[in-house]
Amino acid sequence: MALPMTECLLCHRENLQQITLWQLLNFQPVEPSLLCQTCLDRLEPIPLDQACRGCGRHCSTQLCPDCTRWETLTNFKNRAMFQYNELLRQFMSQYKFYGDYRLRQVFQGKIKREVKQIKADLVIPIPINPITYQQRGFNQVAGFLEGVKTTAALATIEHDKQLPQSAKNRQQRLQMKQPFKLNLSTEKFNKKRILLVDDIYTTGRTIRHAATLLLDAGASEVVGLTLAHG
Amino acid sequence: MMQVRQLFGRQVLADAISVTPDWQPKLLQRPSMMLTGQLVICQRCGQSTPKQTVRLPQGNYYCPHCFQLGRVTSNQNLWSLPEPNRFTKLTDSPLSWQGELTSAQNACSQEISAVFATGKTHLLWAVTGAGKTEMLFHGIEQALMKGLRVAIASPRVDVCLELAPRFQAAFTSIPQIVLYGEMNRPYAYKQLTICTTHQLLRFYHAFDVLVIDEVDAFPFAADPGLNYAAQQAKKESGALLYLTATPSKELSRLERQKRLSVSYLPARYHGHPLPEIKFKLTSHWRQSLMKHRLPVPVKKGLSQMISKHRKFLCFVPHIKDLAALASVLHTAFPELKTTTVYAGDPQRHEKVQRMRDGELDCLITTTILERGVTFSNIDVMVLGADDGVFSTAALVQIAGRAGRKSAYPDGLVAFFADRQTKIIQEARRQIRFVNQKARREGLIGVTHD
Repeated sequence: MALPMTECLLCHRENLQQITLWQLLNFQPVEPSLLCQTCLDRLEPIPLDQACRGCGRHCSTQLCPDCTRWETLTNFKNRAMFQYNELLRQFMSQYKFYGDYRLRQVFQGKIKREVKQIKADLVIPIPINPITYQQRGFNQVAGFLEGVKTTAALATIEHDKQLPQSAKNRQQRLQMKQPFKLNLSTEKFNKKRILLVDDIYTTGRTIRHAATLLLDAGASEVVGLTLAHG
Repeated sequence: MMQVRQLFGRQVLADAISVTPDWQPKLLQRPSMMLTGQLVICQRCGQSTPKQTVRLPQGNYYCPHCFQLGRVTSNQNLWSLPEPNRFTKLTDSPLSWQGELTSAQNACSQEISAVFATGKTHLLWAVTGAGKTEMLFHGIEQALMKGLRVAIASPRVDVCLELAPRFQAAFTSIPQIVLYGEMNRPYAYKQLTICTTHQLLRFYHAFDVLVIDEVDAFPFAADPGLNYAAQQAKKESGALLYLTATPSKELSRLERQKRLSVSYLPARYHGHPLPEIKFKLTSHWRQSLMKHRLPVPVKKGLSQMISKHRKFLCFVPHIKDLAALASVLHTAFPELKTTTVYAGDPQRHEKVQRMRDGELDCLITTTILERGVTFSNIDVMVLGADDGVFSTAALVQIAGRAGRKSAYPDGLVAFFADRQTKIIQEARRQIRFVNQKARREGLIGVTHD
């Protein structure tokens, strides 16, 4: 049995979805997937028990070599949901750079479940700078978090002409200065467990800058959640 | 400030645009999207989309169909300058092609010239390997001499890349530009444009003559937006010629309703009939491959080809079938030099070239090699011809890979499938039909019945 024919938003092939017997007997509405099974099968989820406790990367030891280098930030750890592989690269390119806003829905359900599990007092999406927002028309992280109660606690600071993070190498990324400031007064964060959400964890520079601000403002713990690591 | 030549017959997406003051009043400005109660209609690609699926947080809408060319958002405009035909009229012919047309080709060629001269819409239905490109030359020659702007578009990049050098060789003195998605060179205003049908979306009333090659090919046939692009890209008075070997139902319907005139050429230029499709039933071929076995009819067919030292293309429905077949083939015929290729293969062009050079005996491929590529002496087999990825047009094109050169007009075409489908029957029927038609018209030199 198949649902009405739709097209996979990524590969544009026919997206025929098989309904399982369970779904049929369940009499619950079936949520159609926006990607086809072939594309979904190319995702590489990072299991919690095989992830670095620091940055969330897929790793056999408890703390990966990169994280042993980040010594200062003891109250921060990151959870990454997927490996940043070829499929996610294609996904992010179509979502962010081409601006196909429909793709925000692909991971909304999964992200919502992760957010719920983390049980934070505040959920804060990483902001993007206003010029990018104007061009793109949306914040890609806020798009993922549609339907989740979030707090716009951070704003970007304009340093002089900046390259986008994606155009820098590791060294340049690590040298980036604090790109954020707090939007709200510090008591808002006092003794709070805070969840920071971003799209991709690469060197960890961006999300750790944000975490530092929040910890300095009195947060008891900051947890990161990123769609991908890599 | 934008160069005016960059805007002649083009449509550029922007909030605002500035050109030199004498051109500023001539600028055409159109809103990039039309909004109705429920829908947004993109004015670049013509596709409509339900509003709520493409609404951006600030209340604008975008088009999800053509964003690869730069996203169209409802607060933007499309800007263009009317095509001024800034080309010199010629008194001497720019055509350096010396070849000769057969009398059947010549008849079609004259009809095409008349279509170009009068600005009509026309369909040329010519079998695979009929020599369609050569039939265009005289019509295009006359158009270029009059200073008209000409474009040849195809849905497939490979076809564009094969056409470009042929047109450059035929019209050496005419400046030409080739446009496709991944090219590195920027756009320039030239009299002759060769581009993918997708790139047509960047033009607005530019071409006096627009030829669309392989109209039946994915994605044109499946994508009404590109059809709209053809209408937008040509001038309102411009000629539009569709070329196809396998007309879609839509084109056939227009023809029957006398809304589209048609030229037929049911025979290949070398006067030999198209190789007909031999069909063999298999039983669960994919499972056989999984168990590392070749289905019996396939093994038999392959043994025959291999014993005759034939080179062959082997089509499979999906990328995941490539490796399975390759490994089974390798075990069954260890001597055979073979490799696999698919659309995203980084070595795609090299592998095709190695096959052309005769370095490989067998190329296992998905449908990407179904059209536009010519190997001189080749057999063709399709495994899983009943799979939904093969349309009738695709199967006819695949069969048309065999016997294209006059030195080797024969070739074996073998289809294997777990069941006979309407689509397979229709492909076999179409090939038999054009062969009969060609015989009746006396276009086939040697009759085999």
